[in-house]
Amino acid sequence: MDPILTEIMKNRFTAMAEEASTVAYRTAHTTFVKQTQDFQVALATLDGEFFAYPTMTGVTNGSGDSISGMVKAIDEKILPGDVIVSNDPFNTGGLATHIMDVHLVQPIYHQGELVCYAWSFVHASDVGGAVPGSISPDLSEVYQEGLRLRPAKLVREGVLNRDIVGIIKDNSRIGEAVWGDLEALMSAMRLLSNRVNELCEKMGVAAFREGVAGVLSYSERKAREIIGQLKDGTYTFADYIEGAEGSEPILLHCSLTIDGDEAEIDYSGSSPQVRSALNFYSGERSHPFLCLGLTNYIYTMAPTMPVNGGSIRPIRARAPLGSVMNAEFPASSGNRWVSVMRIYDTLIGCLNQAIEGGIAACGAGQGGIISASWIDAATGRSRVSVVEPFSGGSGARVRGDGVDANDTMIGYLKSTPVEYVEVEVPLVVHRYELVSDVAGHGKYRGGAAIRIEIEARVPELKIAVRGLDRFRFQPWGVYGGHPGSNSAGEVIRADGRREVIGMVKVLTLFAGDRLLMTSSAGGGFGPAETRDPDLVLRDVLDGFISAETAREIYGVEIDGDRIAADKNLSRGGEGSEFADTAIAIGPAREAFEALWPVEASVEYSKAILALPFGLRGIVGSRARAELEGHDGQLTPQAVRRSVEAHAAALAA
Amino acid sequence: MLRIGIDIGGTFTDFAVWKKETDGYTDVESFKIPTSRPDFSQAVIDGISQVVARHRVNVDDPVLVVHSTTISTNAVIERSQPPIALFTTKGFRDVLGIARLRLDKPIDLFNRRVTPLVPRERVFEITERVLADGSVERELDEASVISALDAARQKGATAVGVSLLNSYVNPRHEQVVLELAAKHHPDLEVVASSDVWPQQSEYERAVLTLLNVYVKSVMDGYLEKIDTFLSRSLKNAKLFVMKSNGGMMSASEARSLPAHTLLSGPAAGVTAAKTLGEYLDLDRVLTFDMGGTSTDVSLIEGGRPMISAQAEVGEFPVLVPSTAVEAIGAGGGSVVWLDGGILKVGPRSAGSKPGPACYGLGGTEPTLSDAYLICGLLPDTGLLGGKLALDVARAETAFKLIADTLGISVEKAAESAIAVATSNMMAKLLPFLARVGVGPTDCTLMLYGGAGAVHGPLLADEIGVRRIVVPRVPSVFCAFGCLVSDLLHDTMRNMHGTVLSDAALAEAAEQLRVAGEEWVARQGEISAGAVIVQTFTAEMRYAAQSFTLPVELELSEGKIGSVQNAFERFHAEHERLFGHASADLPVVIDALRLRTAGKQEKPAPKGRSGPSVPVEPRIHRRLRINGKTYFQAPVFSQGSLEPGFRAKGPAMVEQEIATVVVPPDYWVEIGPLGDIVMTRDH
Repeated sequence: MDPILTEIMKNRFTAMAEEASTVAYRTAHTTFVKQTQDFQVALATLDGEFFAYPTMTGVTNGSGDSISGMVKAIDEKILPGDVIVSNDPFNTGGLATHIMDVHLVQPIYHQGELVCYAWSFVHASDVGGAVPGSISPDLSEVYQEGLRLRPAKLVREGVLNRDIVGIIKDNSRIGEAVWGDLEALMSAMRLLSNRVNELCEKMGVAAFREGVAGVLSYSERKAREIIGQLKDGTYTFADYIEGAEGSEPILLHCSLTIDGDEAEIDYSGSSPQVRSALNFYSGERSHPFLCLGLTNYIYTMAPTMPVNGGSIRPIRARAPLGSVMNAEFPASSGNRWVSVMRIYDTLIGCLNQAIEGGIAACGAGQGGIISASWIDAATGRSRVSVVEPFSGGSGARVRGDGVDANDTMIGYLKSTPVEYVEVEVPLVVHRYELVSDVAGHGKYRGGAAIRIEIEARVPELKIAVRGLDRFRFQPWGVYGGHPGSNSAGEVIRADGRREVIGMVKVLTLFAGDRLLMTSSAGGGFGPAETRDPDLVLRDVLDGFISAETAREIYGVEIDGDRIAADKNLSRGGEGSEFADTAIAIGPAREAFEALWPVEASVEYSKAILALPFGLRGIVGSRARAELEGHDGQLTPQAVRRSVEAHAAALAA
Repeated sequence: MLRIGIDIGGTFTDFAVWKKETDGYTDVESFKIPTSRPDFSQAVIDGISQVVARHRVNVDDPVLVVHSTTISTNAVIERSQPPIALFTTKGFRDVLGIARLRLDKPIDLFNRRVTPLVPRERVFEITERVLADGSVERELDEASVISALDAARQKGATAVGVSLLNSYVNPRHEQVVLELAAKHHPDLEVVASSDVWPQQSEYERAVLTLLNVYVKSVMDGYLEKIDTFLSRSLKNAKLFVMKSNGGMMSASEARSLPAHTLLSGPAAGVTAAKTLGEYLDLDRVLTFDMGGTSTDVSLIEGGRPMISAQAEVGEFPVLVPSTAVEAIGAGGGSVVWLDGGILKVGPRSAGSKPGPACYGLGGTEPTLSDAYLICGLLPDTGLLGGKLALDVARAETAFKLIADTLGISVEKAAESAIAVATSNMMAKLLPFLARVGVGPTDCTLMLYGGAGAVHGPLLADEIGVRRIVVPRVPSVFCAFGCLVSDLLHDTMRNMHGTVLSDAALAEAAEQLRVAGEEWVARQGEISAGAVIVQTFTAEMRYAAQSFTLPVELELSEGKIGSVQNAFERFHAEHERLFGHASADLPVVIDALRLRTAGKQEKPAPKGRSGPSVPVEPRIHRRLRINGKTYFQAPVFSQGSLEPGFRAKGPAMVEQEIATVVVPPDYWVEIGPLGDIVMTRDH
């Protein structure tokens, strides 16, 4: 690794990747791309690792991915001028994580020699299927979600395969716009090809290769340095996603082993895949979605390191095939982002144990998108528009309060001005505000929840929201910090009737009906009674907590705009010095685990996954039904016995 | 009339003086004096006094003073002002706290938002509601205004920003709040968002309003001092202030709307570059302003500087049209360091104190300036005629640890640091050019700022720029920009949600046209002779896009064209920038903007060309550029060079406080206006 060439090449690669990503962003056709930046363009090595990955535009969390699965799926030579297309998770080694993400790969040749690949993807706003937008949490098979295209040559030596274009266009509700986005990606990849060729021309292919190897080693070295500072040992953490209405919580079980400068992450014990769109396929490699908590930590601690695949080299991650995070065909995945966020949370839960003093409490754990559809009165045409993204407060951190209204792992979410929304969508936003007194209390408090209230101003306004969670179990607090509050949803009909609706999927508002949605809030870090009284005063003055909360929970008596009395004499303490290392999970999860302790859920997952694929669903539901009636806490043995008995009964 | 342009920098306050209309560009005088702190006005007053003395200006001679100051910007960055309050619509108390949600470092576990200018404690909700079409959903509850005013006062606020939802279409409720405030709390300074800049986007508009409120008193006091001085010693002097849009406005206007000055510093430099570009007939100028801590670039196409909709001050968005400036990386003081064995430059800077090691002011860390000195790109005899000594030995000592660690020579380490900095700049500059749809080979690079002419040519060489211009007065270029600025005013009208028709467009245009002309008339006597030039720009997009493109609209006989015509121009612009356009997709106009210029007289580009006279270099020096050592590179001093001079690089031209590097393959010559021009054939 040449200390000078590496930095110079890193900058040159960055220039190309950022330039290409900018071009794609500016030229894309669909609003969705513009608003959510759910696309990317990058450069990959011949082995499939990304060596240049943009951070200023587009999705920022895929640098550890690999395109090798998609490239290998083409069983003929990939020639200059070819472009491969696919959105198929099961035939790209999990490069596509749901079929809405359409991926493209183009080989970059220099003077007849393959030197690297250009890659790009875009979240297509619609790939057909049962519902507009293709994503619905309830869909249970990938077939229902739309068109699936295994890797194929969209362009052969510069000649566009119009048959494939036709298939793509005809299977989307907005085929032309989706195709426009793909054209934008292709022009960005052409630019990359030109730039790589210019660079090879100038510096020589050998220097180019050395630069590629150098930047990857540079990142790897930094990642190892950060991992090396973690405490050796194995740490486990469990959390849940709530799944469909009335179904059992889905367990995500993470175990992190730190051994010197390497990390191993294992999701064994997590729930089997489900018949809703929360699954994804991650294949047999260290999929970036399984490592985000750790890779984000690495990038946080080493802000100067290049963003590329080197960061994931010292990490081995695996999830059992058939689990939620490594689901087998034909699993549906449209709503997988909730799972990714919760997987991230479990890894942060492990890191709290591996880092001296801990790092963060749990954040809102959801990244919803509220969208609206209605019939335009003038034209009679159906219209769809995004209203706002919807997340919630982040967890409190070891050195400060959580971020209000947005989880740190999805800090790229950007809201739309309400003034813009009210022109585009026939609704009135009555409030868009932070919620007081619900964030997890602690030495540092969680980020506040956000609340939105909208009123329909057309005869019928359909609201769809995906990606919500935390209606039942609260974001946890650590080191004595309190858990943050739950999400909640309510409709206030025009006549004043109130309906608690919980997790919104699709909802019809009639003129004058209001929807009131409140997000979850982040958990707290450290005991509340150790919070700096000046910060307690600040929160009271700002209305984030009441004077009563200040007194009862923080032990600080506020009188007007000053501190009248402070009950706590000692306010020191950081992380590990706190006596209370328990995780505050809140009463709902405590009640659930009173019957289903984590060990029992883990055993259930393992026992089910040991069965043939076809038996898992039926055995699972029978065993569950039996075990729900159990008196007192379940043991792993009892769970395994029940599963095995039901399996045996079916076999007989 | 005598005109004085003044620009305050961190170290020096610069002056450019145009004595009389018959003088040309080459007659413009300039000088600099140390910046006075903390009272910046003192150096300004001293400088003006010097001009008065030197040119025997009489007390009643007409004088025009155009001033660019960062005093408002500094106040925001330093958060040095007394408490202010925000009034917002009920339900939107957290407009500042939510701040469009987005975090600047999207995956950083310790990420946080910028602390708002107003804490939640001093944000007060007003009971009222205007809808997006301007209709009133809920009448303004005056009692809620009065109790908010009382509460703001009780919480210690000295001034209030009022930013109510949808006031950009209907400002009536905001205006009533102003009236109530004037009646009940006449001593409170209250500013309405619709008066500052009536653009859609509640967060950005509220922030801009607060910025205006926040810097108002400091700007007021500052300009008052200069005004008082002028009214005593130069009775017929008029004070003007540079705006973020690169033009100027009267001091009284600046005192009521200081938010329009927040980005005026960099804008003045771009205005200077625009003028010089016009003198030299350059079609596309890329400015390169390299100072101690960072380097800024900007693009001027066809005589029009780029206008930014996303400018920022102290992490706050600034909604008003501002000359677009992009930071692309290191400055001369940027620190060179090793990150796990990898050579890095910046982003930390040694600043002006302790400064680069070679300044001998206590700095020990290696910086880019030290690297320049080691490679012979700065004179070892120092700058400012030797007043600023440069110590090569200190620079070498600073680089020794890095050189030893990497096992290379100090000279190689220094040169590598320069190469790394160049590649850093490329990583930012090339995506920037991609965004604006321009290639580097199409641009003339115009260099100014302390280190601009040292590093600019190296970058130009790297990215393939074929022509470089270094102004004859690069170190006071921003002061020159003040001298040549026009009265310049932007107005806008929202069109998002309006049913488009030729009549609606014409009506909006007419309203803006009148407002623009009235504004020019308000700027005092100098508006009388001003030639008014108006340019309409529509912010347009395809209906499904959320990005708008600014598209200049055609005027025929002073009248705006049809909607159809606007659409056609949009398709063409989309095609030019992105390579595709869809004539059959619906197009939306989000806003109509008008820029009104009241053109002022400028020094004429009266040049002369001389015969090519060979000039002897002052000395020869060893230079290292791009891995090669040139043992006998000629060094010229600019004072000895006349129009017609021409030489081949590698070479150096020394100026008063900077040096100009001429890379190999470039020819350097002195243009007819005394500027340095470098060109290369391929």
